[in-house]
This record gives sequence, C-alpha cells and structure tokens, in this order.
Amino acid sequence: MITKLAWRNIWFKPLNTILSIILLTSSVAIITVLVLLEKQFEEKFNSNIDGVDLVLGAQGSPLQLILSSVYQVDAPTGNISYDSAKVWMQHPFIKKAIPLAFGDNYKGYKILGTTPDYLEKYGAKISKGKIFEKNFEVVVGGEIAQKLNLKVGDEFFGSHGDAAEGEVHDLYSYKIVGIAETTGRVVDNLILCTIPSVWQMHGNHEEEELHNPEHGEEGHIHEDGDEHFQHEHDHDEHAHEEKETTLDEKGMEITAVLLQFRNKMGIVTWPRIIAQNTKMQAVSPAIEVNRLVSMFGIGIDALRYLAYGIMLISGISIFIALFNTLKERKNEFALLRVNGAKRYQLLTLVMIESLLLCVVGFIFGTILGRVALMFISTSAEKDFKFSFNPYEFIWEKEGVLFLLTIFVGILAALIPAIKAYQLNISKTLANA
Amino acid sequence: MISTKNITFSYNKDQIFILPDLHCDAGNTILITGDSGKGKTTYLHILAGLLRPSTGIIEIDKTNIVTLSESKNDKFRGQNIGIVFQKSHFVSALTVLENLEIASWLATGKKNSARAKKLLEQLDITSQSDKLPSQLSIGQQQRVSIARALMNEPKVLLADEPTSSLDDRNAEKVIELLTSLSKEYKAALIIVTHDSRIKEKFSNRITLV
Repeated sequence: MITKLAWRNIWFKPLNTILSIILLTSSVAIITVLVLLEKQFEEKFNSNIDGVDLVLGAQGSPLQLILSSVYQVDAPTGNISYDSAKVWMQHPFIKKAIPLAFGDNYKGYKILGTTPDYLEKYGAKISKGKIFEKNFEVVVGGEIAQKLNLKVGDEFFGSHGDAAEGEVHDLYSYKIVGIAETTGRVVDNLILCTIPSVWQMHGNHEEEELHNPEHGEEGHIHEDGDEHFQHEHDHDEHAHEEKETTLDEKGMEITAVLLQFRNKMGIVTWPRIIAQNTKMQAVSPAIEVNRLVSMFGIGIDALRYLAYGIMLISGISIFIALFNTLKERKNEFALLRVNGAKRYQLLTLVMIESLLLCVVGFIFGTILGRVALMFISTSAEKDFKFSFNPYEFIWEKEGVLFLLTIFVGILAALIPAIKAYQLNISKTLANA
Repeated sequence: MISTKNITFSYNKDQIFILPDLHCDAGNTILITGDSGKGKTTYLHILAGLLRPSTGIIEIDKTNIVTLSESKNDKFRGQNIGIVFQKSHFVSALTVLENLEIASWLATGKKNSARAKKLLEQLDITSQSDKLPSQLSIGQQQRVSIARALMNEPKVLLADEPTSSLDDRNAEKVIELLTSLSKEYKAALIIVTHDSRIKEKFSNRITLV
C-alpha cells in the first residue's frame, strides 16, 4: 500500500518524475554501453592475439600492421618479400609461422591467402566440406557463410582490393570447398585460400594494372619490383594454362607473417634485430593492443566521468523534486499520521518514491544501453566486421551499477525522508 | 466514551493552559467554544493525542492515552479517534475512495472498501468516489473528511471548526451529518468551534476562558 501510494505520488508530478527518470536513464545507459563495449572489445582483441607472439610485416606504423594483419580492420602497411620472410619463418626459434597474403574481397569480405594453420590457430574447424588445397579453392568463415548464404560448391568472382566496389577479377573464379565453424573471432569474417591463389589471381592482369597506377593493391610488388615483375608476369602468362602457381615461386611477395615462438627470447630480441637488418618490422601485438586500449581508455574514462556526472545531477534532481513537494505535502503527511501512520512509515514512503524512480531509471537505462549497443554493433559490423552482443549481462559490473543507482536514490531521499520523519503533526495542522 | 481530568499544557513557560475536565458518552455531543488564542485547537490536539499534555489523564474507553508510547499512540489514534479538520486535507494523488481506504489500511492493515463505499453512499457522494479530492467542491470535501473520520468506527469523533469555511446550507448539513452519524456509530462527538450558527444547537457546551 505504501509502495502503491509512493507510485501514485511520483506520477502526480509527472514532469519532475520524467526529468529525474530521463537523467537516470541516460547515465545508466552510457555506463551500460561502456561496460559492455569495454569488456567485449577487450575479449575480442585478446582472443585474436592468442598464439601470436610477433607479427612480421612491411615497415610503417606498428599499430597499423597489427590492425591489418591480426584484426583485418586497417589497410596493410605494404608487402614483404616472401623469400626474405622465409629466412625468419624457418628460424629454429619459431614454433609456427603463418604467412598472410591479402588479395581481393567478395562483397566487402576479405579474401586472405594463408595456410591451413591459420584456421587451426583460431580454432576454426571445418564444419562442412574440406580445407582448401588447390589454388582458388576457398574456405569461408562461419558468419559470412550464414550472412551471404553460401554453400559448399558455390563459385564467385572476387573484387579487387578491399573495397566491395573494386574491379571484378573475372579471369578466375573462386570455388567454395569448405565452411568454417563460427568462433567469434576474425576468421568468421574472412574467406581463406592458398597464397599462390592470390599470386596467380594478380599475376594475370598486371598489364591492365599498370594503366591504373593509383590502384592500391596488396599481394604483389608495387614500387621496386615493377619491371622485374612485369617480366615474370609475362612468363607467367604463358605458363598459367599449364601449371598452377605454387609456394615455391621465386620473387613473390606476401603481406605479413604471424609468428609463434618456441624460444620466448626471440619475442624480446627480434623486433630490434629485424628492424636493424631488414626492410621489415616485427611487432608484438600484445604491446600494440595495450597501447590502443590505453588510447581508447582516455575517451572511455571521459565518457564514464560524464555518465557519473549525469547520475549526480539526477540525484540532485530527485532531491530537489522531493524537497520542493515536501512543503505542499506536509499536510498530507500530517494527515497520514493522524490516520495512524507511524513516523517510520512516512520515512519509508519518501524513500520508496526515490527508489522507484531509480529502479525505473535503471531498467530503462539498461534497455536503452543495449539498444544503443545494437546500433553501434550494426555500424561496427558494416565498417569493421566487428559485432557486439547486446544481450550479454555482466552481472558483476551491472550489479555494482544497480547498487550505485540505489545508493544515489537513498542519498537523494535522505534529507526529505528525515524531514518527513521529524514532522510535527500538531504544529502542521494548526498552521494549515 | 472520553473523559479528561486535570489537563494542563504549555508551549513555553509564560503561557500555561489549564483545560477544563470533560466527559462525553458514546452518541453524545460536546461543544467547545471560546475566543481565538484560548487554546481550542490545542485542546483538540491534546484530546486526539497529537500533543502530549504536561499533566492530567485522558481516558478513551478505559485507555489513558497520555501514557502511551508514540507508536502505540499513533495506532490507537488511527483505530479509535476520527478527526474532521477545518480545512480538508487529503492525499492529493489518491482518489476519494482510495483516500478512505488508506485510512482503514493505516489503522488496521486492511483495506475496508465495503465500509468506504457505504459511507460515501450515506453522505451522498458516491458519484465522486473516483475523482481526485481537489476536483470536489469544499462542501463535498468536508463530507469526504467526515466519511474518512468515521472509517474505523472510532470511539471519539473530533471536529475542529468543521463549518467555518462553509456557507449556511452546507454548515447545517455538516452539523446534521456529524451528530446523526456519531449517534449511529456510537461515537462521542466533540466539536471545537466559534461559529455562532451552531452554538445554539447544542446544550452541552464548554467555554474556554
């Protein structure tokens, strides 16, 4: 009954109530989004660098190299010679080396030349069909297969580069031989094939390519090797009818190599050795991700302080609303006392009014936060092939947030509630 | 039944109210009159247990309310004393009917809707029962106050200037209702007033000097 009365009271002044609820809702929503984003972001980032100690790639921004080769979100830094990379890949320190060659895309999804080790590293088993073996056989990531409704046996043409609108390579078509399981990692949004597929695909239209020098292309030589490549390509053109390009091809290029070490010493020493002795760089993804997260961290912290600020304001708004109406409601309180209400019942009434606002605000905030995350997820999905799960509940952090909201409610109601508790009925009624 | 003995009260040391003893049986009426500042409302609040007197005894059905603890006093008041004020106060967020129901809930822990509806019918305001109190006329509001005061079948019905803000017709009606209902429900009725319109109607008068 007290709760019902409290509920009726808060809606008797709807504007005050709505203001308080809107403020609470927005602060809870912002914090919810941040909590979910931060956790899922870190999870995604960290799960993708498992088993990658260093990334070997072309010189340039180390962060860009990690983003492009591990997370597939940025353009690559450039290409490296496969022959010189091989020297490091076959080093005794190395447990596993996975070469990557970026090729084309299909409807915006990257086609990545690599080895079967890549799938294994991400724990993506082949759920249907088999692994790619010959050139132009591809394994499709679980999410793509679902979204584009692809089946084993389908064939498609890739578009050049990483833009979905790129020029279509219609000389060779890719054939889907396998579909990978969904793992929640980057591999879900990739189309994988052998490295020679990428080489062969691009070997055959080099001439055309020369007329479009602004075409940024990954997968083969840009600056220094053009002439040499031209020559080789001519040779290739004659040959490609008879034989497939293989990994043993000389003078080819790849984009990056993911390295896992047997001897952990290398993780520390190699970045310097490689930078000093080659035209490549070796970068630790763990360090770069930490750097990235700490860069994000400033923004996230700022947003979080903003949200706490809004929560403080909503607390003040509840306080003012309760305090202001207290004067008008003195008679009401006195009347309730005359009718047999005890002091503590009035205290509870004011408290419950404030807590109801907080609970309603929290519920709306939690829902709104998830709706917002859904939108963020959709746009991140489009831009980065990176999705968030709005239905996840992080009980620990959201529980703390709930307690915090309740605490704000209690704090805001404290003074008005005590005033209601201490109300002098006789005086109030005599002066009325 | 209510009776008092030797009641004194003071807000401060300079002014001491020495209040006359009274005795009122169930179904009877006592009128307390007197000029402003003589302690009429104070007396009523003491009788209602809203103020604690410095000395004296107030017995309502053999319970001395002066010695009750505060929370017991609240409970006793809710169950045994009905009060009608000069200006009607209501819980403004609740409807007329709910205002009556909450009076029974606060006193007994149960919502007595049947009695609330019966009282509204007796007072001829059934049609207003789902309105907010602020939507009623002053005369209607005063009748709802009477209904609320009678909700828990009180032993004592106290009325503080119940007619002062009403016109002649409404004043007469309110007095009529108070006396007839207190007889019907066997409550001792004590009216505090300086309204000359009703003084003549009652023989049982105490004047504060």
